[in-house]
Amino acid sequence: MPFVKDIENYKSLSIIGLEKNTGKTECLNYVLSRLSDSGKTIALTSIGIDGENKDQVKQTHKPEIDVYQGMIFVTSELHYKSRKLVSEILDVSKQSTSLGRLVTAKAITTDKVMISGPANNAGLIDIISNMSNFGVDITIVDGALSRKSLASPTVTEAMILATGAALSSNITQLVFKTKYVYDLIALSETENQTKEILFNIRDGIWAIDNNNNITDLNISSVMMIERVKDRLFEAGNRIYVSGAITDNFLNFLKNQKQIKETEIIVRDFTRIFAQPEVFYSYIKRGGKIKVLQKTKLVAITINPVSPDGYILNSEELKKALEEKLGLPVYDVKKITN
Amino acid sequence: MLLRNIIPLINSLRFMVERLTLQSSLGKRFLLDSTFMIDSKSINNELNLIDSVLDILNSNNKGLINKLQIKLMQIRDINGSVNRISRNMVMDDVELFEIKSFALISKEIYDLQKQSEIEIINIPDLSTIISILDPNKSNIPSFYIYDIYSADLAEVRNQIKIEKAKENADQHTLNNLHLKSEAIESSVREDLSKQIKEHITELLLAVNNIAHLDLIIAKAILAKEMSLTKPILSDNNWEYIEMFNPQIQDSLSKQKRQFQPVDITLDNSICFITGANMAGKTVILKTLALCQYLAQFGFFVPSQKAKIAIVNKIMISIGDEQSEEQGLSSFASEMLKINDMVAASQNKERVLILIDELARTTNPVEGRAIVNAVANIFLNNKTTSVITTHYSGLSKQCRKLRVKGLDKEIQPGVINKNNINDYIDYRLVEDEAGDVPHEALRIAQMLGINQNIIDGAKSELNK
Repeated sequence: MPFVKDIENYKSLSIIGLEKNTGKTECLNYVLSRLSDSGKTIALTSIGIDGENKDQVKQTHKPEIDVYQGMIFVTSELHYKSRKLVSEILDVSKQSTSLGRLVTAKAITTDKVMISGPANNAGLIDIISNMSNFGVDITIVDGALSRKSLASPTVTEAMILATGAALSSNITQLVFKTKYVYDLIALSETENQTKEILFNIRDGIWAIDNNNNITDLNISSVMMIERVKDRLFEAGNRIYVSGAITDNFLNFLKNQKQIKETEIIVRDFTRIFAQPEVFYSYIKRGGKIKVLQKTKLVAITINPVSPDGYILNSEELKKALEEKLGLPVYDVKKITN
Repeated sequence: MLLRNIIPLINSLRFMVERLTLQSSLGKRFLLDSTFMIDSKSINNELNLIDSVLDILNSNNKGLINKLQIKLMQIRDINGSVNRISRNMVMDDVELFEIKSFALISKEIYDLQKQSEIEIINIPDLSTIISILDPNKSNIPSFYIYDIYSADLAEVRNQIKIEKAKENADQHTLNNLHLKSEAIESSVREDLSKQIKEHITELLLAVNNIAHLDLIIAKAILAKEMSLTKPILSDNNWEYIEMFNPQIQDSLSKQKRQFQPVDITLDNSICFITGANMAGKTVILKTLALCQYLAQFGFFVPSQKAKIAIVNKIMISIGDEQSEEQGLSSFASEMLKINDMVAASQNKERVLILIDELARTTNPVEGRAIVNAVANIFLNNKTTSVITTHYSGLSKQCRKLRVKGLDKEIQPGVINKNNINDYIDYRLVEDEAGDVPHEALRIAQMLGINQNIIDGAKSELNK
């Protein structure tokens, strides 16, 4: 079967679920089993907590992640202690997360385990670069958009998106919502110079002019935008927001007279917390958005079964997505069987 | 008296400590927990260790130090685990991994010293602990409860493997097998923890000595970078040749200016330091305090040459002591401090007393009286003390040093508020005369103070 050949050459890959129960774990298990068949040394970690035994809200059975013999995995001390598999500790991080330090271990047997990983980008970057010390060919990062995490999947070279009926039981709606995320992921990166200057700024809202001079606008968050509207464009039409972008912010900007010259810059697509309608409306008015860091979306997987038990027509969904997105789409239920 | 408690009190000490390049958190903790030493043997031991590292740094073997630092960087902080073992607690896999990793690196440090035929600090032999945690003799710093620890464990793990490979693996059977294997692993951990406990002395010593090694290397590198000197310990007197203050020197060099070092000698008696304003009297006091603390915490000191007597305590009164919360004025706070100092003097304690501008916050008539009274007490009790002051009419029996200050020959108009510091001679001279220099008006004029004040004050003086 497909796309594993395409991802073999990346050093890191994230598998991101658009919503809970979109079949991300099945996709992950599939990718892991195929990669390990191909003889590659794989490392696995996660952004946020995963491997929960049961989805807390919907009480549907949530599969744990299969870790194969020979795989390297990174998880918190807490989850390491409650593992079933036999594994050898290779490293323990100096930094701590809320679940303890991170343990890097090699699986001696094949079994299931709970994977919880770094809580921020710096931690994730560290782990991925550390993996080369253990002869790892590719690091897989498990994550979900619905989870609050400061670690972004855009740190990895490539990404697979998992979507499905859990997002919507209506195919048109499902395609629309998925296309939205696709469009966000496709936002272009700023030029290298701008990237370098902004990369280490983690607070506040800044203006950048045409010569890449930056000015702190002294606005602590996008919520305050109404109060400072007079100052917003004082130092340039490009605005860097280190935190999140909201509906409010986009709606406010789209109504300003400078809309056609306005360019918002954010760290990566996960910082955009706007409804699709608001986003598209802003873009339609001429506004632009760019990111500091983007990753390559290589495939989409679908889970046609919703947690309510509703089953969508897999072929129809697959076709509709492929048309809109121009990317290969795979049904997880079919490929895992 | 721990270093961690003194650092917040002395800025220039913090400046230097921050520049120590310690590689491990064990080393950092060892540094902060170091004690103020009051016997010459311990101090000299520490200073000699620094010397030995400096010798290596200045020889063909200097690569050894870099190699040691690289190993030290990988040292894990197993302090908590060692504490738990000594209290008979059972180690978990992560702790066993860390102890193994520590022991292996410890051995590598041991080997490095052996290969170069240089032993800075003795590293105890931890090979027994290594073999406990490395039964397969792989020498790799990874760890798990190996099959070889228990034949039963190997058997249960094998059964799990067989069961899982079956088409209809029975979950119930698997659960039971997992429980069994966990129980065996637990007892293996208990056993391993007991075995390690038998060697806890070597482990504790290794932890201590490796931390100490990290610190000694850092102190030596600091001494080299800042041109610090090994102090010579004496019984009763101090002698500094070209003493300087690294923190102030650093900030001056940023303004492209230089720090002028100072020579000073002290003995078991009182010494006044007088001099014009801005002439560095306070800096001298602060630097004396810095050098004394550094020496007695086992560091080299910022001076071309230094002879230092050991004291049991350093008592300092510098800066505005006003404490509004306690309802005390500057004067009251200062007097309470002086009170403690005088008590120490009368008890003939071995102390170094440093007082800046004694009794400046009260009227000059009584102020001078207090200064002389305190000085005479220190004189009579042979207490090593330095008091800076502006007051004249000081007790004639007491030794006086004066900062040279502004050259008398300099013409008006040459100096202004921006360059005045470049024309001050900060060196000290013995002063036989009873009066302090009267340069306040001259300096005020150069600073461009309102001429009315200058003229008015001059005519007051002439009355």
